[in-house]
Amino acid sequence: MPALNKTAAIIVTFNRSAKLVKVLDALDHQTRRPDIILIVDNASTDDTQALMETRARDDDSLRYLRLPKNVGGAGGFHAGLKAAYGMGAHYFWISDDDAYPEPDAIANLLHAITSFEESHAWRPSFACSRVEWIDGTLCEMNTPRPVWDWPRFVTAAQNWPLVDSASFVSVLIPRWAVSEHGLPIPDYFIWFDDAEYTRRIARSYPGIFVPESVVLHDTPDNRGVNFGMIDEKSLWKFKYGARNEASFRRREGGLVNVLAYAYGVRRQMKGANVPKDLRRQIYGAILKGISFRPRIERV
Amino acid sequence: MTSMTPPAFGTESAHIDHEITEAMAIYTRLYPTQKLTFIFYQGKDPIHGAPSIIEGPFTFRPHHLSPEYLGRVTRPGAGVDSPEVTIILSIPRRPTPTEAKQTDASWRPVRPLARLFTAWPIGYEKIRYLAEMRRKKRRDSKMTSRGLLRGEGSGHFPPAARPASDKKPAILIGMHWLEVGGAEKLGFDTIRWALEAGLRVFVVASVPALQRLQTNLPDSPDVTFIRLDRYLAHDKWPRFVERLIRDENIGLIHNHHCIPLYESLPQIRAILPWVKVIDSTHIVEYANGGYPRTSGVWSEFIDIHHVISRELVDYYRDNFQVIGKVKLGRMLDRVEPARELPAMTMTPGQNTLRVTFVGRLYYQKRPVVVVEALRALDKWAVANGVQLRGRIIGEGPFLDTLRQMLKRYGLTSKVELLPAGSPVPQIMADSDILLLPSNNEGLALVCYEAIEQGCIPISTDVGSQAEIVPADLLVPLEPAACVKGIVSVVDRLWKDAAFCDRQKAELHAAWSRIAADPTAQEILMPVYRDAAHVTEE
Repeated sequence: MPALNKTAAIIVTFNRSAKLVKVLDALDHQTRRPDIILIVDNASTDDTQALMETRARDDDSLRYLRLPKNVGGAGGFHAGLKAAYGMGAHYFWISDDDAYPEPDAIANLLHAITSFEESHAWRPSFACSRVEWIDGTLCEMNTPRPVWDWPRFVTAAQNWPLVDSASFVSVLIPRWAVSEHGLPIPDYFIWFDDAEYTRRIARSYPGIFVPESVVLHDTPDNRGVNFGMIDEKSLWKFKYGARNEASFRRREGGLVNVLAYAYGVRRQMKGANVPKDLRRQIYGAILKGISFRPRIERV
Repeated sequence: MTSMTPPAFGTESAHIDHEITEAMAIYTRLYPTQKLTFIFYQGKDPIHGAPSIIEGPFTFRPHHLSPEYLGRVTRPGAGVDSPEVTIILSIPRRPTPTEAKQTDASWRPVRPLARLFTAWPIGYEKIRYLAEMRRKKRRDSKMTSRGLLRGEGSGHFPPAARPASDKKPAILIGMHWLEVGGAEKLGFDTIRWALEAGLRVFVVASVPALQRLQTNLPDSPDVTFIRLDRYLAHDKWPRFVERLIRDENIGLIHNHHCIPLYESLPQIRAILPWVKVIDSTHIVEYANGGYPRTSGVWSEFIDIHHVISRELVDYYRDNFQVIGKVKLGRMLDRVEPARELPAMTMTPGQNTLRVTFVGRLYYQKRPVVVVEALRALDKWAVANGVQLRGRIIGEGPFLDTLRQMLKRYGLTSKVELLPAGSPVPQIMADSDILLLPSNNEGLALVCYEAIEQGCIPISTDVGSQAEIVPADLLVPLEPAACVKGIVSVVDRLWKDAAFCDRQKAELHAAWSRIAADPTAQEILMPVYRDAAHVTEE
């Protein structure tokens, strides 16, 4: 255990009080319970606030940040990480309001990130859990991305491959990473905020995937993100995703990188026979992403 | 009480001796082993000792021997080589009878707008209101509400443990000052409760003042008022408080708006982490958030925030994300069995209208707006064949202004000015309407008391007033709209029986809701009792 290990859990929620209760219960059963549990409420209209007020009567570690309006997951994680940083935490465990950690999920992340550092001197920029869907299979949307030399330090005793991208579902971030790289981009609103952020902090050193830390992600279905799955209902999210990733690629790799991205998106949509009108809107979002340059806020 | 204050009368020599003893007690605690030299001067005012400390060798210069120079006293150090500390202090003179009675000079409008006030008082009020709102807007846009960080240290280092003590456990209660005010009322209540819980009580105040209410401190050897406000600069408080806690077995601190005590918290948390810290807050100020903001900024160093209204619960939650340790405890007494509320006295169509205002005559209560409202109500009463009787109970710097305004408006025969000590419950029981056009409030208890006496409160929609006053009885803050709103509400109460009945029912319901909340005593007493029964960890 590191000498300074004040840990803050940051959960962003919106109108899912029943699931949030299960998350809080799961946190109460952690073998290493976070010192601070910060619930970021994206202006829920259900009973989330009343629930929090009731629960906080017996739990001083609960903090509640109610945002004046729904600023999306990206805005919520930005505000939450900023507030928790201001509370002096040394580690930030970031997760969703429908992801239930197994009792030793956080302890395992903390153990892995500190043991890795002690063994190899490198400081992982984050440690992420194995995220399972409700049937125990891997949750497609929360699959971390390995780096080319991912097995460099993998042994039977420390089976932690190096990764450079993870979702905001059970990811542990040390304070130094936030100090050096700033906060997630709130202007993304939704989608790709977690990938952008983990890739940004992984510039210092990649993160690690910790398979013995397990969380259950209670989503309606278990699907990855593929532009072939666009329909009228999900179009708005894909548009945010396309704009945000195009913006990120423009920043990191220039126009050529955006073109490569657009080509891949086109192939996915064409392969799945996505209606032309929807395709056009996605191309529009990619074009918008080229000039979309949101500010990165430092702490 | 262990009195640290000289009587108002007596020889000057006794006064000087008393002050020297008091000042030396403070510095002897702060510098237990050093060689101390006190240089005393005759003070020009009755309030502040203007302390100045020189750590190290001291050299007299001509200005040190000014005409006010009284003399010097030394206290030897623990050893021959003890470091020297020189403390320069003025001994405040005794207050004159006028100073002892009056807290503030009479209010006067600011000079450039004095003529405007004479010609058009409500216009002057409007300008003041606009300035206030501008300050609020600036606060909202510029002031951060970010708490101070607090590292709690690593388990790698041995934790500090509370030492054993043969002294009875004690509490340190920090006050803003010991003058009249809502926060001070709670402060005095907590001193009493702490004594009841079995604690010795040390009281300090941050703002130099005559501390007129110190005579109200309980007459007990377990209560000690230490005049840090007079003799110790704020930057020296942390070390003094640390010494006091160690010497006197203090396990609990309760802060009522005492800024240097907030600033002592890092010292306490780093060196004496077992000490529990509570603070109480009352009202969010427009200009800078006031004490709730200060409290929120220090939240990481505080164990319990006691608040008196739901507005403050929301304030801590929305600005500092703190909810668990914010405890609502109303400034009310629990009465068992619950009292029956009397019927409201106002009836539609009645031929008299009795309107009362109760409050300190300071700007916060907007006494000028009260008079303007009474003037407007008088016009309304004349037009409707109603006889108006107004009463203004309270004292303060606006008293002379109100007298002049009432005379000018020809209201002296209809509106009485009554002193602060008047029997408020009886007057309220004999009133139809209570006016409260305040600029800002936490939750005005006077509204609660009015309902208990069958009097209908009409208030500005500020602070937590909406908790006790129904929406239809709340009026806008802007002065002219406030006056207009008051007349409009009275008119409707007088003309519309169904409206009047509905307001009465809502007032009773609001009163019952608030009465069901925990009281400050119910929230604080368990903490005090715990502190009284824990001596060692």
